[in-house]
Amino acid sequence: MSTPAAPTCQENPSFEILYWVGCAAAYDRRAQRIARAMVRLLQHAKVNFAILGKEEKCTGDSARRLGDEFLFQELATANIATLAKYNVKRIVAHCPHCVNALLKDYAQFGGSYEVVHHSQLLADLIRAGRLPAFPGVAAGPGGAVTYHDPCYLARVNGIHEAPREVLQAALGGASLCEMKRNRAGTSCCGAGGGRMWMEENPQQRVSTERAKEALATGAKTVATGCPFCLTMMADGVAANGAETRVLDLAELLVERLGL
Amino acid sequence: MTPTRETFGNIPLSSQLAFYGLAMVAMGIFCWGVWRRWKLWRLGTPIAFRELISGNLAAVWKKIRPGARRVVVDAGAQQRVRGHGLGTVAHVSLYVGFMALLAGTTLLEADNILSHVSGALKFHRGLYYVIYEYTLDVLGLAFLAGTLFFCWRRLRRPAALGHRPTDWYVLVSFLAIGVTGYLVEALRILWSQPTGITAHCSPVGLWLAGIFDGLTVSATRRAHFAVWWIHSFLVFGFIASIPFTRLFHFIAGPMNIFLAAPSLGQLAPVTMEEVEQTGRVGPSDIRHFSRQQLLSLDACMECGRCEEVCPAFATAKPLSPKRVVQDLKGLMEATGAALAAGKTEGPALHETTIAAETLWSCTACSACVNVCPVRIDQLALIIGLRRHLVAEGGLSGTAATALRRMQSNGNPWGLPPVERANWRDGLAAKS
Repeated sequence: MSTPAAPTCQENPSFEILYWVGCAAAYDRRAQRIARAMVRLLQHAKVNFAILGKEEKCTGDSARRLGDEFLFQELATANIATLAKYNVKRIVAHCPHCVNALLKDYAQFGGSYEVVHHSQLLADLIRAGRLPAFPGVAAGPGGAVTYHDPCYLARVNGIHEAPREVLQAALGGASLCEMKRNRAGTSCCGAGGGRMWMEENPQQRVSTERAKEALATGAKTVATGCPFCLTMMADGVAANGAETRVLDLAELLVERLGL
Repeated sequence: MTPTRETFGNIPLSSQLAFYGLAMVAMGIFCWGVWRRWKLWRLGTPIAFRELISGNLAAVWKKIRPGARRVVVDAGAQQRVRGHGLGTVAHVSLYVGFMALLAGTTLLEADNILSHVSGALKFHRGLYYVIYEYTLDVLGLAFLAGTLFFCWRRLRRPAALGHRPTDWYVLVSFLAIGVTGYLVEALRILWSQPTGITAHCSPVGLWLAGIFDGLTVSATRRAHFAVWWIHSFLVFGFIASIPFTRLFHFIAGPMNIFLAAPSLGQLAPVTMEEVEQTGRVGPSDIRHFSRQQLLSLDACMECGRCEEVCPAFATAKPLSPKRVVQDLKGLMEATGAALAAGKTEGPALHETTIAAETLWSCTACSACVNVCPVRIDQLALIIGLRRHLVAEGGLSGTAATALRRMQSNGNPWGLPPVERANWRDGLAAKS
């Protein structure tokens, strides 16, 4: 029997990098597509990876930021033990909140890993020629793309060029139009700090404001690198009465590669 | 003739002595003011400051190096003031002018003391004098230009900026100090009649002297004496007012920058031992914040940059990071006053001072922390307070449900852990 497309650590004990899927891509129907896009890309680039499957738990990021420190510590301790069990050294995650928790929060509790955001891994694979780029080719059917920098990626962890590298590769150097507030100066989608789990008065939605800024670029596609930003930007685009697509950068790359 | 000028020229000894007497009074008021704030900071929980300055010189240097570096780069080189257009230009202009004048006055006093020891030690002469006079003369304009910009900005009363009555005292006294400084110089040039480079190394003063040309020498001397005293009084007023006005950021700003290194994305953990010791989670009283956090409240200038980038504020939610800092600062002062009056506590922290709705409005996006010129960690203040609310069962609704689901199922959706890898089922089909 061949190993499944996305093997668990038990199914592929000789994995080189752990793909941390996170709760959103595990349970949210829309975000699941990010994980599937990632698996297609990892397979295409012949990356030897594994997932934790049902042994993975929420990193506790939003618990910690909501102020439930002990729930966070409980989840962190459990995850650190699981990661130790499989001797995990390198982790890739497509969620900036998971990246930040695994990298910065877990370090305080004895969990020390090399953690990269999927944009960084994908940019590396493109540079290494393991994923094709489309230099000089006009953009696909999506037309111009704007990129929304997730706070916990761009501002908090300083990762803003790798996502653009991936997008440039996927778009063939076509117009990547920037919003006024970008990179470390990005503006929140409204989901951080546990706000994802709170009701928000429709007149006061942060996502509506941020989506307005994205739409003002005239882009036909809004790209981002966070499943929570994805949800929020999609809601925001809809709230503005627009039909602009909102995609994770991995999904855009998959679309471009025709995988 | 060697370019120089007489220190305290035209000022009789009696006035000189009165000058030093008043300088002492101004410094005394300054120290008293700083001490009052210091006492307020000490209401907080201790920080490991002793640890920072213990050990041999090399060890201490290693520990204080990062903080010292931040002070030099962030404050000294004004790196954290960047990014605010004309406001930044004006601040740097005022700052450069101010620091030059401060350094100039300090050097002049050093020269004065040294020349009393021996005339040979006097260095306020020759090429040094020419460079000194020229630099201060020109940078005085930078000081005035920056001040004028801030007057103009304050007249427009931008909403993000804090407004206190003392702000106008500060700005007008800065203008008056600059203008009287130039007048003293102009009148001194008139009565002492320097020539050549000695006159031309003070271009602004020389130009101003031209306007007053025609006064008799004795009238010039009398005017010089009077304006010199006005200038001195203004400066003493300025020194004494630092701890009582927004100018206090000169002191609290660099101190906070030295002590605080808010690292984005990091939060201080709470330990069970800590909870057992204190019997609480998160601050429920202003005294539960650390001394550094209380100091950071005093570093706030109400510049409003945090408010400008806050997504909660932008969408009319009841949160402004600046307001949180200012409200906590008010509580610190009120608590200090209540304790001094013999009471055991000040006004309540939660609800009375900071509403729960304010705390829940934060998205932890860290934009405020990232833009604060004096490195206040607004997010740490907010999350500390959230911790207390959560521990007291103050979180209800959908977010509380999400936390319960994380606890029971390991994910905020509350779906069974066994379904966690079901997303793989769709891998065979596209998308």
